[in-house]
Amino acid sequence: MRTDPSDTGGLFVGRRPGTAPVRYDEPPQPGSRRRRRFDALLAHGVLALMVTVNLLFWGPIPAASLWVASQVEYHSGSVTFGITVGFGVLLAVLFGALALLKRLDGFWILVRRAAGIDQRQGVIGRVFAVTAAIGALAFTAWFLLIAGPGPSLAPEAP
Amino acid sequence: MRRIFRHYGQFRGLSEQEVNARLREQADEIKRQALARVEVLDLSRTTWPEVPHADIVGAITFAARRGLHRYADRAAADLRAELAARHDLPAGRVAVGNGATQLLEAAIGALLEPGDELITPWPSYPLYPVAARRARGVAVPVRADGPAAILEALTPATRVVCLCNPNDPTGTLLGVPALRELLDALPERVVVLVDEALRDFAAAEDPEATRPLLDDHPRLLLFRTFSKAWGLAGLRCGYVLGGAGAEELLERLGPELGIDDLAQAGCLEALRHHAGLPARRRARLAPVRERLAAGLAARGLHVTGTDANVLWVPAPDGAGAALAAALERQSILVAAGDALGEPGRVRITVPVVAADADRLLRALDLAAGDGAADL
Repeated sequence: MRTDPSDTGGLFVGRRPGTAPVRYDEPPQPGSRRRRRFDALLAHGVLALMVTVNLLFWGPIPAASLWVASQVEYHSGSVTFGITVGFGVLLAVLFGALALLKRLDGFWILVRRAAGIDQRQGVIGRVFAVTAAIGALAFTAWFLLIAGPGPSLAPEAP
Repeated sequence: MRRIFRHYGQFRGLSEQEVNARLREQADEIKRQALARVEVLDLSRTTWPEVPHADIVGAITFAARRGLHRYADRAAADLRAELAARHDLPAGRVAVGNGATQLLEAAIGALLEPGDELITPWPSYPLYPVAARRARGVAVPVRADGPAAILEALTPATRVVCLCNPNDPTGTLLGVPALRELLDALPERVVVLVDEALRDFAAAEDPEATRPLLDDHPRLLLFRTFSKAWGLAGLRCGYVLGGAGAEELLERLGPELGIDDLAQAGCLEALRHHAGLPARRRARLAPVRERLAAGLAARGLHVTGTDANVLWVPAPDGAGAALAAALERQSILVAAGDALGEPGRVRITVPVVAADADRLLRALDLAAGDGAADL
């Protein structure tokens, strides 16, 4: 939808969408300069944590689920049961991590505001996009060069 | 830990739903307060309660924009000519001033010598005795408004008789025959000033009925105003009509430099394009006055014959101030009689809307209900 006045020939002459002032219960008391600087650093830390958790989606979590599935299969002797439990663990961990990411994203907004930045939207979408790209590249490299056809394409000399 | 989160928690913005819910609550609260508020009904002033016609306001605005940097026409020639035509008089026998009150005070000041007497029925408009004192004369109040009582109070020092007709606050009208009788009986040295500010509200006689008296009685002055039935009190404009030979006196009554431009423009517009306004308002007021008088009589508050926009109402137990206070508690303002010459009464201006008359009657019932405590 085009709602920017510069896009619509001035049809919408009011405020640009999404630029309304943030309303608070009570006007927040910003911290000292030092505190704001700390908050800016903390925001970066939270962002790094979000990237880390997101990267887990692209390798460690599926691998851990496979490990759990193999353990179940070994102890129960049932492949079907092992796969089912593996999938269950995978989905549970994925959704749990998503919920955690969402909370971290909300916290990141608050910390950014506390640092003195008029932060209105979260960063979770961009984090997903970047980590997906990194994850896809890493998987491709692993698949092609390490676990996939790589060894057969360039076998080591006997 | 909790303190840390509390610090960041204060930066949590309200969601759109929360903001809208709060705005809705505020709007509902404003609406509730508006519904709970009772508009004050001011029946203590004798002016017309509605705003002037847009044409009149437009004429005043036009005059203001045309140029307030110039002096106004000090002779107010156009306005006097229009008034003269309306009352069928030469323009020289019309003077305009800053309200009838200013003209009356000027006339009393011009006519009274120190020690001269001014006779006025009482209670009446409180300015007359004040103006007599300012002119170092003596006010002689008469506790009746018929010609006989006034003639009885005559002394060799009497110079002026001041009549408010219809009388404020009693509303009684001295008819033309009684007025003629009085004028015929008065000695030649006595000048009669008739304040006809409320004349346009009188239904018993044509408002112009007193005008022919000027032809026969040169020592009569009739004072009129644009403040009452014309509804232009803010312009502070009145005029006086005089008999033959009164031209010289009339010239001395108006303000030295005339009345202001805006007043002239507004009054001219009213006279030229809304000449029937006082008659329409008189016709509109008469049924409400009758309804209110009947309602008061039904409550034992008998009002003697009134022919103005005011009712001079006797208070129960003779406590006018207490009745006024009881009505004020119900957001209805009336004039307590103690300031007008009779503490046992209140002056109630007749509302122009029948619903307001009914509201007043209901308020009187309520006041009578808890009257044992208050009255």
